[in-house]
Amino acid sequence: MTFAGVATRIGIAVTLAVSGISHAYLYIHGYQHIPMIGTSFIVQASVSFALAALVLLGGPAWLRWAAAMLAGGSLVAFALSRTVGLFGFSEQGWQPSPHAVVSVVAEVLTVGLWAAYLVGHRFGQPDTRYA
Amino acid sequence: MTDAPHTMSRRQLIRHSAWFGAAVGLAVAGGEVISHVAGTADAARVQSRPALRFAQISDSHIGFSGKANPDVVGSFSRAIDRINNLGYAPDFVIHTGDLTHLATPDQFDQVKQMMTGLRTPHVFTVPGEHDSVDDAGQKYRSAFGAGTRGDGWYSLDIAGVHVIALVNTLNLKKLGHLGVEQLDFLAKDVAPLPSDTPIIVFSHIPLFAMYPNWGWGTDDATEALSHLRRFSSVTCLNGHVHQVFSKTEGNVTFYSGTTTAYPLPHPGDGPAPKPVTLPAGKLHDALGIREVSYTRGQNALALKERTLQ
Repeated sequence: MTFAGVATRIGIAVTLAVSGISHAYLYIHGYQHIPMIGTSFIVQASVSFALAALVLLGGPAWLRWAAAMLAGGSLVAFALSRTVGLFGFSEQGWQPSPHAVVSVVAEVLTVGLWAAYLVGHRFGQPDTRYA
Repeated sequence: MTDAPHTMSRRQLIRHSAWFGAAVGLAVAGGEVISHVAGTADAARVQSRPALRFAQISDSHIGFSGKANPDVVGSFSRAIDRINNLGYAPDFVIHTGDLTHLATPDQFDQVKQMMTGLRTPHVFTVPGEHDSVDDAGQKYRSAFGAGTRGDGWYSLDIAGVHVIALVNTLNLKKLGHLGVEQLDFLAKDVAPLPSDTPIIVFSHIPLFAMYPNWGWGTDDATEALSHLRRFSSVTCLNGHVHQVFSKTEGNVTFYSGTTTAYPLPHPGDGPAPKPVTLPAGKLHDALGIREVSYTRGQNALALKERTLQ
């Protein structure tokens, strides 16, 4: 694997972990009591940590796909919670600060790094591992 | 891209299964750790019982008869039983309005009699627009207005929490309305309080713009909330919309509660908020009560929604 590939993989792991930490913090500090949202937050955080660890260890490509889908799904959920509501839950703007902005930036970076990794492999060496 | 189709050998299958197993195992372990940390944090907060525990009940619409719920009295009785069987006596029960459907003396009498069955030291109420259909709330205040001010608003302190009950169902145009006199009361009421006093506000119509097209908002709520912005914890509980909904704006969190009578559509789902008739056996899943607890040192109140099923 190239240096760029390793750096991208580390980037995906770090941004996933940051998003997971934000969600875990909010879960512990009150969100656990919000119906459905609490459960969603703990699932998001724990799956983020698991994927971050395995992506960092050099797991197969589907782990990076899963990471990108998780980050993308979190962004969609964020957008819904700021517009039509999500499971009857709605928030405004970048509240709670700074966790909202931190997690959105981290998730955008996760998706961006995954896309870069994908493009890099399409036009670089083919991944010999089963994807 | 290669032309050769991908095939997976047994070794690859085993390797991928191991990665998948590791992902699931780590996710479960991570969830356990987070849950444990949250539980420890909670346990530290609740060494003793919460400082304040109360129940919210709303929109009983005693007197309603229709397909959406042919037995609102039975549903309200079930809600009262639900509160009486929480396993503890709540410090108070708040009914956030639309106690009656048509504000007749008989309906007020019936709902008042029924609420005497609640096992709690205090029952508080705020009026809904159905409780003041023809007399600007006079019959409501005759039944429930003892100790209130103005057109039925009031405040009280309990367990270190300042509770404010507002009336936004009189002088309705399209949206709820508080009015100058009540806003003045609110400003003076909170002026002497330190900013770390937890504030709980009850009203019938939401104090946030949940869906203004259907009147689900209060036109002068912004001014009311301006008096509350300096407080570190403000929780607004309302009824009216017959469904659970929450919204956070800075330090203020809004929670719409469900009903004990009949569901209404989700915001914008249809031309108007008409009672929704659910399939047989599903009604009591949509009806409910809410438990609320406050623990000292915590900004967020803990809420639990309970259905009547």
